[in-house]
Amino acid sequence: MESSWKLTDTQLRKWLSGLLDGNSVVAPVEEDGVLLFRPIASEDQAVVKPSGKTRWSPKEFLFPRSEALYRYNFKGGTVQLEDPPVPEEHQVLFGVRSCDASGLVRLDEIFLSGTKDRLYAARRENTTVVSAACAAADVECFCTAVGYSPVGEEGSDVQLVPLGEDWMLRVLTDKGRDLVSDAGDGWTAATAKDGKRIAELEKSVAGQIERSPVNREWSQVLEEGFEHGAWDRLAQHCLGCSVCAYVCPSCSCFDMNHEANAWCGEQCRSWDACTFPLFTHHASGHNPRETKQERYRQRVLHKFAFREEDEDPFRCVGCGRCVSLCPAGLDIVNTVSAAVEAIREEGADAAR
Amino acid sequence: MPLAEAVPNPYQPSLVRIHDFLDETPDVRTLRLQFVDDNEAGGFAGWEPGQFGQFTVFGAGESVFALANAPWRPNGDRASAPTIECTFRMVGKVTSALRAMSKGQVIGFRGPYGNHFPVDDWKGKDLVFIGGGIGMAALRSAMLDVINRKSEFGDVVILNGARSVGDMVYTDEMPGWQEVDGVEVVRTVDPGGETEGWDGEVGLLPNVFEGLGLDPDGRIVIACGPPIMLHYLFLSLGKVGYSPDQVVTTLENKMKCGIGHCGRCYVGPFSVCRDGPVVTWAELNELPKDY
Amino acid sequence: MTEANVTAAKSEAGAVPENWKPHIVALVCNWCSYAGADMAGTTRREYPANVRMMRFPCTGRMSPLMILRAFEQGADGVLVSGCHPGDCHYVQGNLVARRRFTIFRSLMDFIGVDLKRLHFAWVSAAEGHKWAKVVSEVTTSVQEAGPLPSFEHPEGWGGIDLPEMTGSGPQELDEQRLDAIRANLRKAASEVLTTERAGVVIGYGSGSLPDQTHPVLITKTAECEKLEWGQGCRNNLGAYVGSALEKHERVAVVAKTCDLGAISGLIREGQLRRDQLLVIGVQCPGVRDGSGLATKCLSCSGDPHPICDLVVTVEGVQESCEDPSAAALDTPDARDEQIAYLESLPHEERWQYWQRQFGRCLRCYACRAACPLCYCSTCITDKHRPQWVPTSIDHPGNSTWNIIRAVHLAGRCTGCDECARVCPADIRLDLINRKLSLEVERQYGKIGLDPEEKSALVDFRMEDSEEFIL
Ligand SMILES: Cc1cc2nc3c(=O)[nH]c(=O)nc-3n(C[C@H](O)[C@H](O)[C@H](O)COP(=O)(O)OP(=O)(O)OC[C@H]3O[C@@H](n4cnc5c(N)ncnc54)[C@H](O)[C@@H]3O)c2cc1C
Ligand code: SF4
Ligand code: SF4
Ligand code: SF4
Ligand code: SF4
Repeated sequence: MESSWKLTDTQLRKWLSGLLDGNSVVAPVEEDGVLLFRPIASEDQAVVKPSGKTRWSPKEFLFPRSEALYRYNFKGGTVQLEDPPVPEEHQVLFGVRSCDASGLVRLDEIFLSGTKDRLYAARRENTTVVSAACAAADVECFCTAVGYSPVGEEGSDVQLVPLGEDWMLRVLTDKGRDLVSDAGDGWTAATAKDGKRIAELEKSVAGQIERSPVNREWSQVLEEGFEHGAWDRLAQHCLGCSVCAYVCPSCSCFDMNHEANAWCGEQCRSWDACTFPLFTHHASGHNPRETKQERYRQRVLHKFAFREEDEDPFRCVGCGRCVSLCPAGLDIVNTVSAAVEAIREEGADAAR
Repeated sequence: MPLAEAVPNPYQPSLVRIHDFLDETPDVRTLRLQFVDDNEAGGFAGWEPGQFGQFTVFGAGESVFALANAPWRPNGDRASAPTIECTFRMVGKVTSALRAMSKGQVIGFRGPYGNHFPVDDWKGKDLVFIGGGIGMAALRSAMLDVINRKSEFGDVVILNGARSVGDMVYTDEMPGWQEVDGVEVVRTVDPGGETEGWDGEVGLLPNVFEGLGLDPDGRIVIACGPPIMLHYLFLSLGKVGYSPDQVVTTLENKMKCGIGHCGRCYVGPFSVCRDGPVVTWAELNELPKDY
Repeated sequence: MTEANVTAAKSEAGAVPENWKPHIVALVCNWCSYAGADMAGTTRREYPANVRMMRFPCTGRMSPLMILRAFEQGADGVLVSGCHPGDCHYVQGNLVARRRFTIFRSLMDFIGVDLKRLHFAWVSAAEGHKWAKVVSEVTTSVQEAGPLPSFEHPEGWGGIDLPEMTGSGPQELDEQRLDAIRANLRKAASEVLTTERAGVVIGYGSGSLPDQTHPVLITKTAECEKLEWGQGCRNNLGAYVGSALEKHERVAVVAKTCDLGAISGLIREGQLRRDQLLVIGVQCPGVRDGSGLATKCLSCSGDPHPICDLVVTVEGVQESCEDPSAAALDTPDARDEQIAYLESLPHEERWQYWQRQFGRCLRCYACRAACPLCYCSTCITDKHRPQWVPTSIDHPGNSTWNIIRAVHLAGRCTGCDECARVCPADIRLDLINRKLSLEVERQYGKIGLDPEEKSALVDFRMEDSEEFIL
């Protein structure tokens, strides 16, 4: 299956420009100084670099911040329902970092399991992911500490590997092959030496990440210490916003509300987050997660505990965004290790 | 587009019409709903007691209510077309809008969702249903199912508790249940909630339950009510000698999607809408205290 | 998510159909203007029929949210009308409203809404003729302005470069002097705890990334060693005082000069009493934002302010008890040039500038969470009966949120810039806040540090200016 080529930066751009024909190409662009994924109109808008990530993940192109699940209008004393059209144009997510590509797979596990989500499924099927492996870690990155890799293939249909000035392009799936049916002008076949670069990159990036790994056995400890007093201390400065969840590639919670006027409306799904008090607030006034500490614990545990199978990956892919963007400087990995340490030292039942 | 076409929209409701309603209390109403489109009624797979549905008031939003009538068996002798009943309390945006609707108006329904009470496993056993306030709604389907085929079960005690006499639901139907052989209905109101001429019990549900002195042996307790009531009820049950796997309840975490995706009803790894809402006390003990 | 909302047909960019007629929503008070309109009707005065009226008890009940709602739903213009000053059925509702609308109007202008679409008028019950005249004028004016520009991403718009912000910033503090300050701060904090002057000290502890700190709540003297000081101490710790007071009778808070405005605001607004608070002002080296000094620091001396109870400098710790009412914040601001530049651009361009920014808003509400003065127990966005701010995370709702947040802080915000700092989308909330405080200052005087003073927008004067009111 695998075929790989070596491309110069110019050749890569030319290929990207070709993709614009017949696809909606979503790539990192700079907007008011912020690097973001956006549909591009021409290849020169894309910022494709050997390292560095967008402010938030590209998840909104599969799981939009808000979308209509169905529409309705009031006519002749009854209600008429209308299914939203599924997106038709093929979408290419270009330059997705490895952590973010894995994040998309974590979303699949939610939206395509059990009862499938129609809109998500349609978008997913219509999307090809061209990922870009990382030649360097940002200060906040810690993918290797949570079981992911800067050159990880999960979730990628085509992978771009930075080779100094050049790129290696690897086709990883059938969908990828549909995108790269033939070698482009002047592409050369990648050599075994180029292939070796992947492992070298992984090693050198891992070397830049100083955090100690999160141990898989910790899940159990965290679950046992659910009511441990440490949570109260560790998250007392959480402000209760949802920056962490909204920038996260794997957070998938949402809300549903009717947005309507006297004539018509829609069931609108929007991102939501477990850090908000309303998230679990019952209409009766009872709230299972009354404090922001309990809510923050939910977010942490949903990433690092409650895994169904032991071999299931963590739901945190280690992008570090929630660490660098938290207004209150909370650090999910430090919180996990501090909680585990406290639970082990003081016993799972140590009072709050 | 094979996938997109193969996957139906799980969020689009069926239209159902308010065929009839009954005001149980000043803020609780029971609706009887019929499918607007007979074809959809035909496609509806029926439900088992304990499952719930998502009910839509177009323009206001969606709310979760338990399916409150006896299960509809397509080829059984009970009903020829599925009617859906729910009992809801007016507490907020959707429920107020729903309360304002009149007969003949159209709302949305999707479901059934969730797991169900293991009614068939209870055959031959004595049963106690304990409902606090609107919690009775979640028990009604199972109760009616049991009453309808009472001969298959042992003795049935129904404990209906409310804050006050005016807040008691299903007062119209209780005499009918009581008439069935082997069914005993006990009504109770919280202290201070009684009125002149009240002939039921006065006391908190857990205490009244203890006072009944029912032997735990061979008995199943099915309880539903506010978290604080369940907390004290479990203490009583433990004291009297019930084991956690004899006790069944339902969790009522806030939920939106009903299909395990939206994330808000999770109790640890347990998704109330998908893996619940019915749980045994034993199962509950395994879950983090997050409900 | 706009399709359901926008019922009015919108034209393609630029091309206004020939027979286009504006949709205008009039919010009128029940007692005067509604009766005035009624009078106009009964006396058969002719006036254009493009106006839909909504009746309210009083202009004082009308919130900018209602105007925003009208625009979201497709109105091209809005008219707000009520009783003349002095005639309010509720005595002063219209006087408070007048200030609110003065400020709101300036913000709408700033974000690119042509003021030809937003009008205010006093029309009494007897002034049927005036109502007819006002409606004609407003209709002509909105007709001129054309259809409301869309709430959407300005596709293909090149953007603008705002003038570079400059300023000297506080005096530089080298590592040695910072060490001295840190040591003094720790000493001061531990003394506060041992002498029980406060039950908790809210300060900064070192964070996990370079140059990052996080708020710490310290109750034990031994932990005072954790207290950090330096350019990473960004948070306005005033945001933590309220919750700390739930557990402690008296709270000590470490504060930079820029944090003090919001802290006195909390006292002024009755959220806490001065005697529940011990303010530890610390000599500030400025904070870093991204690669350079934060904007707010460019024009700040960093010197601790006399309203503090304790003042920590390189030299040591001293008590300070100067009269707070004499204090005023020094407010030349590096942003003012950017604001002036934006104001020099045509409306269309400003609209594009802000729509692109508002479009990025994730509705994470970090801006609200970090703001010490956003203390409402239930925010307007969390109310859903009615749902004034659309829940969908998209241009119309985002615009409403970003505008209403700023409006709710107008006359109260003193520019700690926390909201802008924490915004993951880098929306220039600081420009909006600053614009509003300039406007409040211009109209009603400076926002000071005096906790005794009333906020400008809950106050009024009979003689407040109203040159824009018809
Ligand atoms: C499995 C299950 C079964 C149930 N069965 C029944 C039953 O049989 N009968 C019954 O009466 N009840 C039942 N309930 C409870 C019922 O679902 C709620 O009482 C009902 O949904 C309340 O809806 P509401 O819109 O009227 O309340 P509201 O309080 O208006 O809204 C519901 C929720 O929306 C949230 N909210 C508030 N403001 C906003 C905002 N601005 N944006 C978004 N959200 C907001 C609130 O936190 C509240 O929790 C059941 C619940 C569950 C989970
Ligand atoms: S952890 Fe940080 S980003 Fe997340 S809710 Fe708390 S304050 Fe906000
Ligand atoms: S939890 Fe934080 S670090 Fe982990 S994937 Fe999400 S945003 Fe990235
Ligand atoms: S609005 Fe922003 S700048 Fe003003 S007080 Fe609040 S956080 Fe500070
Ligand atoms: S912090 Fe920024 S992105 Fe978040 S709600 Fe406020 S303006 Fe929007």
